Amino acid sequence: MSLWFCIPFAGLLACIAVLPLLRAEWWERYRPVIVAAWSLLFIIPFAVTYGAGTALESVLECILNDYLTFIVLLFGLFCVAGNITLEGDLAGSPRTNMVLLVIGTLLSSCIGTTGASMLMVRPVIKMNAWREKRSHIMVFFIFLISNLGGCLTPIGDPPLLMGFSRGVPFFWSLRLFPILVFNMVILLFIFYWIDRKAYRKEIAQGRKPAIQKPGMDIHLQGAHNLFFLAMIVASVILSGILSGLPFFQDAEGNVLGISVFKEVRLTYPALIEIFVILAAAFLSYKTTGEEIRRKNHFTWDAIQEVAVLFVGIFITMQPALEILRSMGSSLDITEPFQMFWTTGGLSSFLDNTPTYLVFLTTAGAMGFTEGVATSVGMIPAKMLTAISCGAVFMGANTYIGNAPNMMVKSISDENGICMPSFFGYFFWAVRILLPVFLVDTILFFL
Amino acid sequence: MGKKKEMLRELAGRIYDLDVEVYERLGSSLGRVFNQEREQCIKELVKLMDSKSKSHILRSQLALISNMARTIGDTDTRDIIMKKYEGILQEVTILPKSFASEDILDEKMAQLNEWNLEERFSQDNHLVICIGRAYGCGGSEIGFVLADSLKINYYDVEIFNEVLKRMELEQDDVEDRAGFPAFQPAQKLTLKQRLKDINRYHGLPKRDAVFFNQCDLICDMAKREDFVVMGRCADAILTINNIPHISIYITAPFEQRVRRVMKINKKMSEKQVREHIRRLDRKHAKYYGYYTGRGWGHAENYDLCINSASYGIEGSVELIRRMIRRSG
Repeated sequence: MSLWFCIPFAGLLACIAVLPLLRAEWWERYRPVIVAAWSLLFIIPFAVTYGAGTALESVLECILNDYLTFIVLLFGLFCVAGNITLEGDLAGSPRTNMVLLVIGTLLSSCIGTTGASMLMVRPVIKMNAWREKRSHIMVFFIFLISNLGGCLTPIGDPPLLMGFSRGVPFFWSLRLFPILVFNMVILLFIFYWIDRKAYRKEIAQGRKPAIQKPGMDIHLQGAHNLFFLAMIVASVILSGILSGLPFFQDAEGNVLGISVFKEVRLTYPALIEIFVILAAAFLSYKTTGEEIRRKNHFTWDAIQEVAVLFVGIFITMQPALEILRSMGSSLDITEPFQMFWTTGGLSSFLDNTPTYLVFLTTAGAMGFTEGVATSVGMIPAKMLTAISCGAVFMGANTYIGNAPNMMVKSISDENGICMPSFFGYFFWAVRILLPVFLVDTILFFL
Repeated sequence: MGKKKEMLRELAGRIYDLDVEVYERLGSSLGRVFNQEREQCIKELVKLMDSKSKSHILRSQLALISNMARTIGDTDTRDIIMKKYEGILQEVTILPKSFASEDILDEKMAQLNEWNLEERFSQDNHLVICIGRAYGCGGSEIGFVLADSLKINYYDVEIFNEVLKRMELEQDDVEDRAGFPAFQPAQKLTLKQRLKDINRYHGLPKRDAVFFNQCDLICDMAKREDFVVMGRCADAILTINNIPHISIYITAPFEQRVRRVMKINKKMSEKQVREHIRRLDRKHAKYYGYYTGRGWGHAENYDLCINSASYGIEGSVELIRRMIRRSG
């Protein structure tokens, strides 16, 4: 496939990065139109070159198999987490923020980066409501909770779930714990000093939290929704497990499902996952009082924004992923550090799940005789570690690197926090994450 | 100039009120764009409107309010609020260019007039005298005699005790040291004690929680009565909260302070006293710098700095009284 087909993807990224800076209101109003325009700019030339049938098949494949489960999961977690609120006058300080970031990061591997982000974002915003400069807290929230924290289990981040369905043992990713702890320590140390500086400045400016009463009355409202949250997490794991069961596969090993168009099918495990998630979201919404959503400033805007942007990103990135798939084995990437940076670099802009799969397959086809036995071949532990860390960690490099990044940005923007622009955030990542990843490379992947 | 300021204040007030209205309509508990007291926010907003280089901050703050306003569920309410927002935005956009072109080169210098001692106090204000002092200079005596001669209350450790009472804090953990609280070194706490502390101090470090409560208490008192307050960063706290006051710093040459402390505390050797004073000065400066962002004892932060060794207690009190008479 020609590189020219990647232009709409680059164009859409440029719009996401630049238009909010140049014409914010215009971008907000016409976002769906712009996304549709770039999508059509890919679909039409693709249809002219390869035929309308192939184009339709490609678009349906991406929407039904990748986008649908992605957005339904995001929607479910967004909806359920929005029905839980932490009441109480806990005041945000560098120390409490650090503790919450640690809890959130570890929670990411238990309920997924999206689940942990949605669950933690509002309490963190609320605690720090008395402060003026809060954007750095949310930037580190994205670094740690929305990305890095998901590396310990297949539940944490979708690429690892794909790895699990390709034969990587469920608990294998726990081996990444030392790397996660190392990264957490460095990032939290940097965070503490940045936050402390901002905190001191704010105190000197006369800002103070309302803490006149001794003691605080912390309580969780809508706690029953934790059950629905668990239901969603379970459905994701279930979907991964069911896909590997012979009962859900045909004679050739393809996962069974409803045939939609040509080879495109909506698999039964995906359907079950979608059904369970939507049921959980519906029940959560119906069983929770409006008052909790009001307190949480719950609106559909954040999920709408992400849904619109990512449908365009998913469609227009298909050529880039196709090129990557066809070139993956010929890229001459043989060392773990190369795997870490290539998987990571591409995961910063492309969907990290297919990127992970491409390099997992590439590594599996290298003919190693020792390592982790997967359905794509034997992969040395160091190589698999590099691919996993690259895919999970470097999603933090940009707002579009991982879905929760954009959700956290959007929710923060809605609640009085002036989040950095696309480039502003990227600059944070370059200044803070890049050096940490370089140290990771030296210590773990060389 | 006065009319322009009035106009900017009025506009700033409407921006603040819009933020409050949006927040109330949403019923959210996640936080507002302007989360300080009205008067302080208005002052900051006027500053932003008045400055060419910071006008982008004002626009981004307005954008944040509109982000929130757009999420109001009720269409009619949203329309009304968005109309108000657009009106304000238009006014901000067409703020006379001359306003910004008159950027003040040195804001602090310009504020000297605003805080001129002669015009500082209105009839509604109480006389609040904040005295910062170096340990061993006789500052406490000067403060006490001054309060007595003015027939107003004298607060030193009383404020601190009131804060402890408010926070239900044990006296053993913390003690007052010449105008600032000193905490006992962190001891090994059990998990239960830690959780108790988190609950009691709202997750904040103990010293920060004490400071915030002290701030509230000092501001409340300044709105109610005339008094002399010793230390506790009161001068900085009242400045930030736009409460008129007189700030004084009293010190004395190191040798004089050593002699004085030795006279009072006969159990300590000279070496111990010297070390004790140096340590207290260091801690005091650190405490003041941490919570105010200003330099403790730096002359530019005070209305009057006195070397008590030059004037003695009575002389210092007289000097301060003469200055107070100038303030009307």
